Amino acid sequence: MKVHLLGAHNRARYGDLLEENYKLRHRIFVDLQGWEAIRRPDQRDVDAFDGPNAAHILVTEDGELVGGSRFNCHDGPTLLQTVFPGLVTEPFPAPPALGADWTRFYVRPDRREGRRRAPESAALFCAMMEYALSQGYAFITFVSTIYMVELGVSMGWRIAPLGPPAKIDGKPTVAASIEVSEDALDSVRRVTGIGQAVLPFGGTDLRTGRSVAFGGF
Amino acid sequence: MNSELMTTIEAVQHQTSGEAIRDILYRAISSYGLDRFIISGLPDRGQDVRPFVLLSGWPDEWYQRYTRLGYVHLDPVARHCFTTTLPFDWSEAGYDPTSDLPAKRVMDEAAEFGMHDGFCIPVHMEGGMQGVVSLVGSTAEVDEHSRLELHMLALYAHGRLRYLNMPGSEQPRRRAITLRESEVLKWAASGKTAGEIAVITGLSERTVNQHCVNAQTKLGTKNRTHTVVEAIRHRLITL
Repeated sequence: MKVHLLGAHNRARYGDLLEENYKLRHRIFVDLQGWEAIRRPDQRDVDAFDGPNAAHILVTEDGELVGGSRFNCHDGPTLLQTVFPGLVTEPFPAPPALGADWTRFYVRPDRREGRRRAPESAALFCAMMEYALSQGYAFITFVSTIYMVELGVSMGWRIAPLGPPAKIDGKPTVAASIEVSEDALDSVRRVTGIGQAVLPFGGTDLRTGRSVAFGGF
Repeated sequence: MNSELMTTIEAVQHQTSGEAIRDILYRAISSYGLDRFIISGLPDRGQDVRPFVLLSGWPDEWYQRYTRLGYVHLDPVARHCFTTTLPFDWSEAGYDPTSDLPAKRVMDEAAEFGMHDGFCIPVHMEGGMQGVVSLVGSTAEVDEHSRLELHMLALYAHGRLRYLNMPGSEQPRRRAITLRESEVLKWAASGKTAGEIAVITGLSERTVNQHCVNAQTKLGTKNRTHTVVEAIRHRLITL
């Protein structure tokens, strides 16, 4: 299993994987989970938040894409603030430039079958906390069914609702913010049993392209 | 949003023992007119429930009887959790009282302990594991909005207890500021301006300033100099 971090500095090299990501996302979010609002005739889920400023964490196994997540810094437009502003009634815990919006989290469904915790999701959770620390983020926001809160808290993460839960399409949904910290990285590593950095070089500063080391000093 | 709920949710996440979470939950659910609860995983048929229990807020005598006699496998409320992802009232967990006598016995005996009604929240976890948070009390006055709040609170408690139950989850000492914040403060301590720090670290000047403001908020200090002094005093940065 390999974890890749795609940002402005390297996305040209990753064109094929990114394309595969858009197709797989359409299959998972539209065909399987029924998000009709984002259905597209070309069967690719790609929107305004996939632009050059987006970061993608993608997981491959033997060269095949099996999981992913997308991140947009809150200093620009984000899905949370554009599509779900009604879910947010509380202020962010820190200035917007220190936060990222986490969207399009998925693990290919056949990788989840009959497993207590898919190693792909474990790697994604570790990678996103490494990524957030390497970028100097203080918080990560998300919109999800409230079951994501249970999963995050069970990994030792501190999660604050950004507004009251609401029913969307009959599902209890909440906007929330995850605290980024060394403790959060420690605890997700302990819980998932992943003892080391999963991102290459522990993370790359996407603004400068320089690698950033942390956590083992 | 409901500030009392926000406070409760934050408190639950800072506790390191089940006992402390029990006290918080008793207080929180009483404001919804509920008074007892249980938080547990649900075992496969025939398995003992005790290793699955995360936290009991039941009367001791009832807890002993329920777990010793394997009532979890007869209880229609526990059974109903496997058929729905949404929370439900105990009264919705149907069974036929004329033919399903064991189920009737569990519900009748619970009633003898004053547990007539309740609100049950199934928790479906990765890999098909099944958990439950069952809140005891009359639900007649609990409106739709409160049910959503209780649902969320229950998931916070379940998640936190699951974390505390995992081996090696003892809390390491908390780091007050992030590594990036301490890096910026270190340069500030050696007299660099925000512009100079931006050049050195490759961050934008705006981000440098935001790291300082963020550290200031966390340390409760009044200005940049004060933040640097406190960071040194608490050994958050070394020069």
